[in-house]
Amino acid sequence: MWGVALRSILGSLPVLLIVSLITFGLMRLIPGDPAAAIAGMSATADQLALIRKDLGLDEPFVVQLVKWYGGLLQGNLGRSILMGQDVLQVTLIRLPVTIALAMYALVLTLLLGMVSGIVAALRQNTLVDQLAMVFSMIGISVPNFFLGLLMILLFAVHLGWLPTGGYIPLWQDPIGWLRTSTMPALSLALLQMGLLARITRSTMLEVLRQDYIRTARAKGLPRRVVVVKHALTNALIPITTVVGIIISLSISGAVVTESLFSIPGMGQLLTQAVLNRDYPMVQGGLLLTTTFLVLVNILVDIAYAILDPRVRYERS
Amino acid sequence: MARTGWGPLGFAAAMAFIGALGSTSALAQTYKCPKVGGDFVFGQEANVNSLDQMTSTTISTRNVAMNIFEALMARDESNNPITDLAESYTESPDGLIYTFKLRQGVKFHNGKAMTSADVVASWDRYKRVAAERQILDNVEKWEAPDASTFVVTMKKRQPTFIEFISSFSQPIVIIPAELKDDAPQQLRTIGTGPFQLVEFLPGSHVRLKRYDGYTPNTKFTERTGFGGYKQACFNTVTFRIVTEPGARVAGLRTGELHGVEDIPFTSVADLKKDNRITILPLENWWVHIASANASQVPTDNAKFRQAVMALLDNEEIMEASTDGNYKLNVGFQYPHQASYTDAGKEFYNQKSPAKAKALLAESGYKGEPVFLLTNKDYPSMYNASLVMSQQMQSIGIKAELKVVDWPTAVQMAAAPSPSPGWNFFFTGYGTQPALGALATMNFFMGTNPNYKPKPGQEDTVLAAEWENMNLKVDPKERQAAFVAMQKRIFEQAYVFPFGSLTKVQGVRANVVGYKPFRIPRFSNVSFQ
Repeated sequence: MWGVALRSILGSLPVLLIVSLITFGLMRLIPGDPAAAIAGMSATADQLALIRKDLGLDEPFVVQLVKWYGGLLQGNLGRSILMGQDVLQVTLIRLPVTIALAMYALVLTLLLGMVSGIVAALRQNTLVDQLAMVFSMIGISVPNFFLGLLMILLFAVHLGWLPTGGYIPLWQDPIGWLRTSTMPALSLALLQMGLLARITRSTMLEVLRQDYIRTARAKGLPRRVVVVKHALTNALIPITTVVGIIISLSISGAVVTESLFSIPGMGQLLTQAVLNRDYPMVQGGLLLTTTFLVLVNILVDIAYAILDPRVRYERS
Repeated sequence: MARTGWGPLGFAAAMAFIGALGSTSALAQTYKCPKVGGDFVFGQEANVNSLDQMTSTTISTRNVAMNIFEALMARDESNNPITDLAESYTESPDGLIYTFKLRQGVKFHNGKAMTSADVVASWDRYKRVAAERQILDNVEKWEAPDASTFVVTMKKRQPTFIEFISSFSQPIVIIPAELKDDAPQQLRTIGTGPFQLVEFLPGSHVRLKRYDGYTPNTKFTERTGFGGYKQACFNTVTFRIVTEPGARVAGLRTGELHGVEDIPFTSVADLKKDNRITILPLENWWVHIASANASQVPTDNAKFRQAVMALLDNEEIMEASTDGNYKLNVGFQYPHQASYTDAGKEFYNQKSPAKAKALLAESGYKGEPVFLLTNKDYPSMYNASLVMSQQMQSIGIKAELKVVDWPTAVQMAAAPSPSPGWNFFFTGYGTQPALGALATMNFFMGTNPNYKPKPGQEDTVLAAEWENMNLKVDPKERQAAFVAMQKRIFEQAYVFPFGSLTKVQGVRANVVGYKPFRIPRFSNVSFQ
């Protein structure tokens, strides 16, 4: 298993290098320079040139790239143009907010998605199955932005159960965190929930038709044991793959959800940074976010090895 | 004899104002908070990236920072310059020396008393880091002969100097001298205003608290503009960043937010029916505009531009842009402003396709594509461009939209002449018209004017009038120069002001004293 982990880590280094290069290059390829965004329409050409010089944007592309990588090697991701703050410091404040939200969404997804998928598979072609699939289709089809607005109207304006937005850190007030994070997490989770429910259902149906399940039933094992121990354990392998994708989707989906619910996470930060051409913030923020997602994928690889002995043997 | 300057309207008006003020001070009662306490939560539409008021030109920064910082001069409710941290000022007869006497007893939020050394340090930092530092280009030096006096020596006479340094676009806020070396965007947030910073979490909120050591300006009895007699009635004010309009409306409805800015027009009618909410229209938020590019074919041809000007139905454009929340407005100032003029009104909102076709024929237009540079970040700009393109197509102009994001549009439009790839750029003049005629006309001057003349073909008439606007000592002559500039801009169809947009704010009905202004002010506001 350690070999699996080591190989995954080594394999991820080129990914990070490529992502950082693409981000750096793309930010400079797209039109709209930070000086114009900072100074606005009333700026003269001289003022814009002065700002570019202050920001080091008048230097050749390669020089800027080398300087940035030089900074990275020393743990310096640069300073946000707009906020004037250290990119690493800002990201370390914002990323945990998004991760906490994504994890909450993941828990909801796993609980509701897997349970409804399993129930639908066990009650195939019944009303329960059809209802579960209809809800999962709604989850997949309705944009989370619209869903979020509907939830604000229902739970905040009409019922008054939850606040319309804002954020309270988990470590500051867990109950407050739950109150402020439930609607955003739910709006994020519903899309993934639908996805997971459908995949769990089809995987479970496939597994339940296998000979060894029939054998287990024929041996007279209780239904619960057959489903949980024999069927679900084997169905977990493709589901684990989906979990990795779900975390990625939650992080990227946070761009919209965080804006809607006024949550100070990475999604909101990176949107602002891209719109304002805050190069260091986009480069550094995306690199750290990618690093997190790469770690998630490494964990998924390790989970494969734990769940499926064949993976351990093949890779060793 | 030295004279006291109170604004662009000149000595006579200024003295009359002082006189009126003196009598008002004697008669009127000084403001007292009806109720002290409470946490006011304001839903702000845009993120606050920095609270460095010297380097940020964004409205979102100003919304917060102008409750924390103060400057020597401010603007009153009608946008006239008034003293704020300065007790008074005098201008030497030759107009070369301004002597400011500082208000006594003013303390920074760190408890330190403000002296002229802090003013010197603040101006030093502004000159070093501010984007608008060119307003001090004509200043020879500034110094502090004693702890309560600040003297500015000009290189040459500039009658508009006080107007510039009282501007709230990027004000020269006064900070403790020890902060003068703070890097751009990293100013430590210590001011002299009625509120002080408690917590700033970008993307989430900014929380301020009442500064108990605040010394109000007793020359006034009430808040006026950004200055006057200010009192913090709330214990705390929290600016919560709520970028989604629907969420702002929901927050106002539930009472989580006590005030919000920029209510979507579609929600206004509904909110008006709610007696727990007071809707406050903020008229003349900005002048909706398209500027022409005189360095590109066919908008390099004055006849072509005039044809478009003759064609436009501004009501139709503004209606589509703002869902009816607008006023037709000739030019670059608003009717309530002293410098307002309707010069050039004969060119505004002509709605004459016949005249447009005749001018188009005269221009020799050969069916070249005409690019309307617009964006969807600001839907009102996009809608205006859409309607204008259809109006242009109706007389055979090959109008095409070029839709990019806002930073790209700004970069393309700000490129020095010949600025390629566009013929009309859709934008809004927001802060500048509110600051006065001078700030707005500034768009047409300098090395990169908005109308993008070909190199060496800058409009000499405009340049001459601009000199007059800046250098004439008599305010009437300066106003006459502005009138001439506005008329010339219309005649030559350099820009197309469609009308003024109304922004809508709202507060809970139990909030007293909140009055819409360009920037939300939280002094002299309380709960019932």
